[in-house]
Amino acid sequence: MGLRPIFSSLMRNGAGALLVAIQIALTLAIVVNAVFVTKQRVSHIGRPSGLDDQNQFALPVTGFEKDFDFFAMIRADMAMLRQMPGIVDAAPINQIPLSGGGSSTQFYSLPDKKGEKSPVAYYGTDEHAVKTLGVKLDDGKNFTATDVDYRPKDAQGFPGTAVVTRVFAEALFPKEKDNLVGKTFYDDQSKPVVIAGIMEQMHGAWVGWDKVDRVMLTPVVGPGPGIRYLVRTEPGKLDAMMAAVEVALRKRDPNRVVGKLRSVQNFKQSSYASDSLMAVTLAVVTGLVLTFSALGIFGLATFNVNTRTRQIGTRRAVGARKRDIVSYFMAENWMVTTLGVVVGCGLALAGGYWLSNQFGLPRLDLYFLVGGVAGLWVLGQLAAWQPALRAAKVSPAMATRSV
Amino acid sequence: MLSMKNVSKVFRTDLIETHALRDFSLEVKAGEFLAVTGPSGSGKTTFLNIAGLLEPYETGSYKLDDVEVTDLSDDARSHLRNQKIGFIFQSFNLMPDLNVYDNVDVPLRYRRMKFAERDKRIINALEIVGLGARMKHHPAQLSGGQQQRVAIARAIAGDPKLVLADEPTGNLDSLMARQVLDLLERINEMGTTIIMVTHDPELARRAHRNVQVVDGQISDFKPYESHAPTAGLTPVPHDRVSTPAGA
Amino acid sequence: MFAYYLRLSLQSFRRNPGLTALMVMAIALGISVCMVTLTSYRAAARIPLPHKIEMLFAPNVDSWDPANPYDQDKATNAPDLQTYRDARGLYASTIPDRKLIMFKAGGVLSGGMNMAPEYVSARMTTGDFFPMFETPFLYGNAWDAKADAGPEPVVVLSKETNQKAFGGANSVGKTLLWHDREFRVVGVLDHWEPAPKFYDVSNGSFDDPEQIYVPVTWGQIMELGSDGNTNCWKTEDIKSYQDFMNSECIWFESWVELRSPAKVSAYRKFLDDYVIDQKSKGRFPRPLNNHLYNIEGWMQRNQVVGTDNKAMLIMAFAFLAVCLVNTVGLLLAKFLNAAPIAGVRRALGASRRDIFWQHLTESGVIAVAGGIAGGLLGVAGVWALRAWYGRFVQDLERSLPTDYGTFAIAVGISLAAGIIAGLYPAWRIGRAAPASYLKVQ
Repeated sequence: MGLRPIFSSLMRNGAGALLVAIQIALTLAIVVNAVFVTKQRVSHIGRPSGLDDQNQFALPVTGFEKDFDFFAMIRADMAMLRQMPGIVDAAPINQIPLSGGGSSTQFYSLPDKKGEKSPVAYYGTDEHAVKTLGVKLDDGKNFTATDVDYRPKDAQGFPGTAVVTRVFAEALFPKEKDNLVGKTFYDDQSKPVVIAGIMEQMHGAWVGWDKVDRVMLTPVVGPGPGIRYLVRTEPGKLDAMMAAVEVALRKRDPNRVVGKLRSVQNFKQSSYASDSLMAVTLAVVTGLVLTFSALGIFGLATFNVNTRTRQIGTRRAVGARKRDIVSYFMAENWMVTTLGVVVGCGLALAGGYWLSNQFGLPRLDLYFLVGGVAGLWVLGQLAAWQPALRAAKVSPAMATRSV
Repeated sequence: MLSMKNVSKVFRTDLIETHALRDFSLEVKAGEFLAVTGPSGSGKTTFLNIAGLLEPYETGSYKLDDVEVTDLSDDARSHLRNQKIGFIFQSFNLMPDLNVYDNVDVPLRYRRMKFAERDKRIINALEIVGLGARMKHHPAQLSGGQQQRVAIARAIAGDPKLVLADEPTGNLDSLMARQVLDLLERINEMGTTIIMVTHDPELARRAHRNVQVVDGQISDFKPYESHAPTAGLTPVPHDRVSTPAGA
Repeated sequence: MFAYYLRLSLQSFRRNPGLTALMVMAIALGISVCMVTLTSYRAAARIPLPHKIEMLFAPNVDSWDPANPYDQDKATNAPDLQTYRDARGLYASTIPDRKLIMFKAGGVLSGGMNMAPEYVSARMTTGDFFPMFETPFLYGNAWDAKADAGPEPVVVLSKETNQKAFGGANSVGKTLLWHDREFRVVGVLDHWEPAPKFYDVSNGSFDDPEQIYVPVTWGQIMELGSDGNTNCWKTEDIKSYQDFMNSECIWFESWVELRSPAKVSAYRKFLDDYVIDQKSKGRFPRPLNNHLYNIEGWMQRNQVVGTDNKAMLIMAFAFLAVCLVNTVGLLLAKFLNAAPIAGVRRALGASRRDIFWQHLTESGVIAVAGGIAGGLLGVAGVWALRAWYGRFVQDLERSLPTDYGTFAIAVGISLAAGIIAGLYPAWRIGRAAPASYLKVQ
């Protein structure tokens, strides 16, 4: 069909076509990278935390008078909470998972800091933690009430037994994945801790940490005067129980500070807020950019047709059929789109490379590039379809009309 | 007023060279009313464009009001055009979104005149063409004849020395055409040189002098008699119906 | 002439409202996205106390593990906090005009007029904190060096805490109980919410400021742990608070005020001398790696403007570029369509430059309209984001403020962009010879 004359005519009236090509190139570069990063973030946010995080809330409590009996407070509060209808279980705990605040340390598979090593986030709590957190123990068992060390003073070192996540245990004992229960690991003072149970999955404090799934539950509570309570409710009862618990705790003992109640879901959303914001912004930008490109192509194609009615009429008058006109304009559009897509590929790759270097975002997956190219090509042709059809309707009589 | 000597204009495309004007020479005195006739494609429009400083030319010289135009910059030509020339087009070429007042205003704006001066000239020009009452109207609300009269007002508002008219009555019926011609004559009597391009022999007869352009050159053939300017109305062989504003 | 061009622009818009609206909207969308990302970027990038930028410094010394750098991502960074011993050691220097050491603690405050006992956050620091960071006082003033040395049981309250404890009255001289100990109020701050919270970025750039301020030595007397970051690298037998104070755990932050370049150099030398001296005592196993950061450098070191902020800003401007290309195309189409009219104007005496300026003005008007619309859209966007995320993120008033500065910047960018976008189309339309448009229409 002679692409060369189309090409040379485009060259002569280049500005509009060039603009559309630039727009397509930029669109491809932006959309490919934006969709990629968005998907990354969405998967990141969507990871299962291992907790029943839709039905949990937490609050800090502090005693303050001299001679305040910290442990008596905990015992009394826990007894009351655990028999409130609507509450599945409750546990005292030093920090709240997914909240961004927590403690971590390093353990070794052998004494004297030898062997494999791994950092871990730890939670000092009692034997009710497993049920309160809602984590699944898929090997071994929980520690018992007698294991729990109610420490009156800030002593160093961990109790000799712990419940840990599988990922953490495997990091310390990579060759013994079927035999983790009962294994012993050591702190930097060579003090031993035996693995009592393995949690399938649990997230710790910092969602942005690549080792967030390395968690240890350790049976120690104290020394006060402050602690946090984690409470798990029956499904659907979260708001009601939060209100009820606040009232009940204040009423039971007004001589201590009951701090702000906050749901674990709230903590989680706060921790993921910047990822969420990034995903939303990119999704909005992607949608808008695609819309603009479609409109831009449509607009240029329409403009093209309107300014060349005499030319179209002449072509028809010398024998072109309607579909020849359509294919002429679609071919013209195809050239512009192809140019834009080719340049856009380069830009997308360059952009992805630069983003991953500068900002530590992961390297662009080429799947997305291929998808983007195909998608934009289709979009480009679709947008030019209606104007091409309109061109075909131009009457051959336009050739002779002078005005 | 206008003096062209050996002007030639060539249109070039990839394949063809067209000589629109070749060795074109013409003298027009100040105050003349000249009709330029000729078959289509003869170059009359090209001549008018060059005379109006709208197009450059290849060789030759053109003096407008004793100013040699050949080497002037675009800015200088625009300035000269603005000061000395008024245009009247076959299809009126009024600005559709401006009203009558604003349409006449356009060339005065490019002269950077102050409001008071512009206002005076616009009102005066509209009075002369008989459309003083229609200042707020838009071209769409006027008849063809009225639109052309607005265009004439626009052409004379700046007191140009030369008015170029390109088939000024081409789109009008004979009644309106006569009115327009009357106006042109009146303007000419006030001292403005008028060059009118037309293919209508009736129209050409009302000018003082005719020249014919054939194949890009002035032809010697002068089929019509010319009339010398006289004071008062120029006698014409047909009835004149003078109508007030509005038709 | 400018007024004339404005009038012509408005008439041109009226003739083609759909196309005009499309162009304004294209620019508005691009500008609004830029505005939202710019708002959060500027909030994070704001340099507090800019007039003191060459006076206030945070020293960092590298007392960390010889086997691993403190910052795995940037090995040249030294720890941002100091051990108790090093904080005291740096504080001992007489070179600075002012100096402070501090950490964040917490405890139950009680004893006010109407106040139920409440757990409050406390900044344990020295008296110079207040003049150094220019905190505004509502009543009273900071404590002096004598109070630091004592230490005297004095406390400075935030405005909000004073409101809760004493109903907002002048409480200077009154007492409160903190950790069951009596403290005397010597000053009440006026509303003070530095954003970003530059002096404690390691805990949170947009966290709330503390509720009370207490002389730092009380931390040692009352054996208070840090509610902020504590980091230890060394295996140490820590059985008591004293052991903790002597350990290699870092939990203190230091700042100094140095009012001349000579003092800055002298202090740098002091840092080197101090570390070398400590090395001779068996500490500081890593190579010499001291830093002295001014506020701007400190915020960069702590990446207050995060990578997400920067990446989003880049995306936003790339999007704006697409919007602009779109606008150029639309302007080109619109102007070329109106070329015959421009041709008539040329015939009537307009020069190329007149036509150019006329159309550039039109682009400018569209650009300003798009900028204002985009700015308003951006403000609405920021408001919407605050409303959405404010349900679980606490500090959004500071990290996503209603920023009129950004609004002005947005309109400015839009005007510049619109004029640039209009340059080519305006030039193009002036370029064609007027004759070509007059006969064949």
